[in-house]
Amino acid sequence: MTPVPGPHLTPDELDAWLAGVLPAPAQEHLAQCPVCRERADMEREVVHLLQAVPLLSPNPGFADRVMARVTVPEPARVPVLAGVRRVLATRGGMAVAAGLAVLLVGSMVGSIAWIVASQTTLVAVGQLLLGQAGHAAWIGVRDIATALVEQPWFASLQALAAHPGRVGIASGVAIAAYLVGLVALRRLLALPTQQVAHAGA
Amino acid sequence: MAEPIEWARLSDQEVVLQAREGREAAYRELIRRYERPIFALIFRMVRDRELAEDLSQETFVKALNAIGSYRPEFKFSSWIFKIANNAAIDHLRRRELDTLSLEGSPHAATPEAMQATALQIGNREESPLEAVEARELGSAIEAAIGRLRPEYRSCILLRHVEGRAYEEIAEILDLPLGTVKTYIHRARNELRQMLAHLKEG
Repeated sequence: MTPVPGPHLTPDELDAWLAGVLPAPAQEHLAQCPVCRERADMEREVVHLLQAVPLLSPNPGFADRVMARVTVPEPARVPVLAGVRRVLATRGGMAVAAGLAVLLVGSMVGSIAWIVASQTTLVAVGQLLLGQAGHAAWIGVRDIATALVEQPWFASLQALAAHPGRVGIASGVAIAAYLVGLVALRRLLALPTQQVAHAGA
Repeated sequence: MAEPIEWARLSDQEVVLQAREGREAAYRELIRRYERPIFALIFRMVRDRELAEDLSQETFVKALNAIGSYRPEFKFSSWIFKIANNAAIDHLRRRELDTLSLEGSPHAATPEAMQATALQIGNREESPLEAVEARELGSAIEAAIGRLRPEYRSCILLRHVEGRAYEEIAEILDLPLGTVKTYIHRARNELRQMLAHLKEG
């Protein structure tokens, strides 16, 4: 009788045999050892039986019943960064983003270059705008003065200004009224000096 | 205008990102992807259709409401399977269960309740004789799985029914890799012994 080469198969080697990756020396042993052969065949049979167990499914509507109890975060609350990441995940989105970046940087560089190259034009435009603004301001001041002179109370104001004594009295009354008002306001805003009683204190 | 999303082409991580941005369709896509495996795992753990449906719902509600705390460096499948397995194990710790019946929940009191809690098995083209044989075989396998210790059951279901890698199972169950391998070997061994009568018959 020919001696069987090598020791009997270990459980790990039986697994390797089931997975079809048993090393050659162990294969040789298996081919010649009736004990290991029978054991391996039985293992394979059990595995086949397990793999043939019926497919089971939950009752219809399972997903709906689960989803009725799941809180899905609102898309609006999703961080903007996540949206950007999603856009950039596609090739088209990436191309659009790259195009926009090139356009932005290009327009900035173009603007700077134009400013550097056209300083004389910029000075002329600046002077023109300054002249226009000064003219518009002068017209505004003139219109306000004309409107004041045309008011009915302007004549009595002119008459008051003609007597310096009356102007002095009017100014004194105005200053006194201002000071009285100031003192009254200060008293109103002063913190209370007596302690305030609190409930339960 | 934004292009419609082709959900089937997105990875779990990408769908989760969409969900975090408040897209309800992303939540539904995650449910669509995992409702069957999660329900199947929980059903085979607790062996009661109504209860499995409730626990599956709890699993999804818990996972989807906490989608903001999910860390994308881990697999979404591992995360949701972990929640599902914990829900099932917690329940099993509180309650001892009877053997599974394909005809309906062992806790159903009336024929209507039996029918309502019966397994919904995926349609297959088969003759009446094949259907009876498959039903008997399926029942025997399901019953054998149900007799395994809960920790063996989780491991064997995740490995051979859900097709998860050993490393992922270790992550889901918070167990060392070696322990997961040991549990799976032992579970296969026990199943082989429990199903031996089918081979003899």
